[in-house]
Amino acid sequence: MAKRLSQKLAAVVLFVLAIALVCTGIFGLNGRSGVTGQQIIDEMGLRSLLVATGEGVVESYVDIAKQEATAQVRAAGGSMAEIREAVQKAEEEARATYSNTTLDYDSVDTTQLSGAVEQLREALNAYYAEEAAAREAYADMMLAQMELEAASGTAEDALVDEGPVSAEEDISDAEMELETEPTVDMSGFVATDEMNRLMEQAEAAYVGVSEALAALYEGMDAQAFDALQDTVMALVSQSGDTFETMFDRFQASGGGEALTDDLWNARVIRYGDDLITVGIAVLLTALLVLFYQFLVTKLGLPRLIIGLFFLLLCVLGTVYDLSLPTLLSNSVVRMGMNSILVLAMVPGIQCGISLNLGLPLGIVGGLLGGLLCIELGYSGWGGFLFAIAVGILIAMVVGYLYGLLLNRLKGSEMAVTTYVGYSIVSLMCIAWMLLPFKSTVLRWPLGPGLRATLRLDSSYKHILNNLWSFEIGGFTVATGLLLFMALCCLLMWLFLRSKTGVAMSAAGNNPRFAEATGINVDKMRIIGTVLSTILGAVGIIVYSQSYGFMQLYTAPRQMGFIAASAILIGGASTSRCRISHVIIGTFLFQGVLTLGMPVANVLVPQSTISETLRILISNGIILYALTKSGGVSRA
Amino acid sequence: MREKTDIRTLLRNNAVTIMFIIMCAVCFTFSGQSINYVIFELMSRLSRNAFIVLALIIPIVAGMGINFAITIGAMASQIAMLWVLEWQVPGIGGFLLAALLTAPIAGFFGLLIGNLLNKMKGQEMIGGMILGYFANGLYQLLFLFIFGNLIPLNSPGLVIKGSTGVANTMDVSKATGFKYALDGIWKLPFGQALYVFSGVLALFCLFLLLRKRISGKKFGLCLGVLAACCLLYQIPQVAGIFSMTQVPMVTFAVVALLCLFNVALMRTRLGQQFRAVGQNRVVANAAGINVNRVRVIAIMISTILAGWGQLIFVQNMGSFQTYGAHEQVGLYAGAAILVGGASIVRATNGQALLGCILFHTLFILAPAAGKNVFGDAAIGEYFRVFISYGVIAMALVMHAWGTVQKRKPQNALRAAVR
Repeated sequence: MAKRLSQKLAAVVLFVLAIALVCTGIFGLNGRSGVTGQQIIDEMGLRSLLVATGEGVVESYVDIAKQEATAQVRAAGGSMAEIREAVQKAEEEARATYSNTTLDYDSVDTTQLSGAVEQLREALNAYYAEEAAAREAYADMMLAQMELEAASGTAEDALVDEGPVSAEEDISDAEMELETEPTVDMSGFVATDEMNRLMEQAEAAYVGVSEALAALYEGMDAQAFDALQDTVMALVSQSGDTFETMFDRFQASGGGEALTDDLWNARVIRYGDDLITVGIAVLLTALLVLFYQFLVTKLGLPRLIIGLFFLLLCVLGTVYDLSLPTLLSNSVVRMGMNSILVLAMVPGIQCGISLNLGLPLGIVGGLLGGLLCIELGYSGWGGFLFAIAVGILIAMVVGYLYGLLLNRLKGSEMAVTTYVGYSIVSLMCIAWMLLPFKSTVLRWPLGPGLRATLRLDSSYKHILNNLWSFEIGGFTVATGLLLFMALCCLLMWLFLRSKTGVAMSAAGNNPRFAEATGINVDKMRIIGTVLSTILGAVGIIVYSQSYGFMQLYTAPRQMGFIAASAILIGGASTSRCRISHVIIGTFLFQGVLTLGMPVANVLVPQSTISETLRILISNGIILYALTKSGGVSRA
Repeated sequence: MREKTDIRTLLRNNAVTIMFIIMCAVCFTFSGQSINYVIFELMSRLSRNAFIVLALIIPIVAGMGINFAITIGAMASQIAMLWVLEWQVPGIGGFLLAALLTAPIAGFFGLLIGNLLNKMKGQEMIGGMILGYFANGLYQLLFLFIFGNLIPLNSPGLVIKGSTGVANTMDVSKATGFKYALDGIWKLPFGQALYVFSGVLALFCLFLLLRKRISGKKFGLCLGVLAACCLLYQIPQVAGIFSMTQVPMVTFAVVALLCLFNVALMRTRLGQQFRAVGQNRVVANAAGINVNRVRVIAIMISTILAGWGQLIFVQNMGSFQTYGAHEQVGLYAGAAILVGGASIVRATNGQALLGCILFHTLFILAPAAGKNVFGDAAIGEYFRVFISYGVIAMALVMHAWGTVQKRKPQNALRAAVR
């Protein structure tokens, strides 16, 4: 009972903390657009301007002193060593004299300066708006031109893009880019007349600022202000400025000193959004503490851990100002592209062959379908459907034979399927080297065999992803892909409820009982295996159309494991599973991977920690499932 | 009639071995390598790989199949080696220190592995394999983010500036390393090594004869074979084949010691328990054996031995890939022992050594053969990976097939009648 009580107590404390955090955060965010925020930013801006100018003044004096010293010594006919000595001496002297000329920032009258700075900021903002518009227009123009060139058939450059790298080297999953926007060469961009005019205005406004500064710093000449112009302008305004960027910039150049009284207030305003995010995270923690037992029994420990980890990554992503909608939409796309492969686990588990780690058999079939499609030059929907059809045909034959094999070794399928899958993948490595494909898209330009990574630009890249896709606030919905996934899941759901499907599940669940009721267990197992293999073939085609590449050689080896771990994360066991497990599991697994990489890169730059994460999650969950499936008895 | 069936069962039971001998012969014809070179290569490969293959025997006897988790033993030894390199202990001293360090680390890992595998009885092989992958993730965390960052390493070459974690390659061939620490102690040309080997074996047989372990007839046979070998070596052509070969005596002595250990252990009480558990867990449990404990001990011994095996491997190679050297250990060792005719329920020292010889012969020959036949060495490379996986898959299939056949009622009846 004491445990329950402390649990409740902790939850209440966390609740209070969360509400406090969220309230502070909201208060901060409100302040940002309000008077206080504006005041703080203005104050900081002025201060950092003064600091920068002060430093500039000292530097310019030092420069002048150095030049004078050099000229003097040279006029006297001194050697290089003497010049160097004199310059050093002059610099020290100048620094000593002028460093205490810096102003007492708190007492200066800045009304004139702040007015001038405001004018300069407006002028600069107008200029940046104009520049952004002009750049966009230019990019559009270039893009249209590029498309025109591409349409007129300059396919040569596609052939010289990559040399024969070793077969082991392939684009790792982590490095993949889902949305490869064509990059536009901006080097030809020139400022428009309107931009020049606005720049002139800004320069005129700078004169006002320099006058105001000259009133504060005696002895600044026009030359020094010319040198300072870029610094000041960059400090006052930059393109696409927000509260955060201005705050960070001013803070970095010493503007934070101005806020002796309300530094904390300013920080709350600056980090208001992060406070809200952390508050929500604490709130979730409180809920978790409160309903811990319920959640564990309902979801199971591994799903709970992975789910929480996913939420933690979401929170970290928001705190580190990563674009969460983009990341989430990427996760959804990756869920779609992996879902069919994961769905392939369902008939396997249901018919009693457990996790079908021999999925590479089906994948190889799908790859062959894709290769044939490219070889014969089909493209678009025709090519996609052709690839699927060929893949299904091959997978059917292979799956049938595979089912016959598995029927002879009931009870030890997992180890066997893994190694059969591995050997098929290595066998196909030899086949990829020897198969007589002719297309230049497929073959290495030099040397024998097929490329390790095939581009699908010419065939069916993104054919489902781009179908009816639309965007809401940075979140791209790949409608076609999701619809295809939903269709496959629905078909599988219907099949499992058909007469054959029920018989298959019965055969997997309790073979002896099924045999007794007149179900042909061996036949049902073959049906399940064939279905699983077929889905593997379709799955890899869907995967590759979304990825934009097809990977041969050793790439398919681990795919069975990834699919298996996804469905296990979803809550399936090695003997029971549902369609919902597929969807939840794939989303969680791929979500963790998609969010994990950018977050990990912020935490530990240039590391492979997200790859390590994948290894740990994917194998950990399979291990967990295995410990649940095996007996715990002593014998 | 009886004769014929015997030959057939012999063929069926040793199908993999026979197939491999044929494959080695075919590859040898196509590879165009000289036999001198093959023998030379084989001897060094045998000296560095035999130990780790022998480490697989005990778990097989204890009914846990091939212990693919020996990769974790290899990881343990690599942790030990990293620290020996850090402390810069050279030569045999460094090697022994690494071996000493490996034992507790690998033993602890073995304890954990054993306990985990006890929760997945009947799925040990796939469990061990996935456990190996999982441990690889932890190993990467350890070497990328803990060693060299949280725990600083000062010895030069262990950490590369500007990148996170321990360097990609660990070089033990420097003055402070322990390359050839074991191999270099005592090397003999093949001929002398053969004489020494024959002498030791003859003495051993004599010892067994005096203890009445073997019959006089067997003793005579053994002496005869040894004498024949020594005589055969007197023919200059035969001696010419081995002219390049140097035998690292101490390494082979260690391997021989392990073989003896395996045999001797099986005669102890613990060895009997291994066998009992391996044959039938339920019966063993009923007989009062703590099955879980016995299995954990088997895995612990195997993991420690695998760690030492990896040490022997590295001292011969002179360097290792920090993040990859352990990955294929389980695969190659498992494939080798299966090639020698072991199954996942039965294995002997002889099978392990024979398998090691055959498997590595193919490893030496396959790339060259692939290059000559298909014009590309990569095909031979893929071929030998295919062979490794294929051999394991085939052994598993054949074993599973056999058990299913045995379980069928009509076969059980036939066996009973016989």
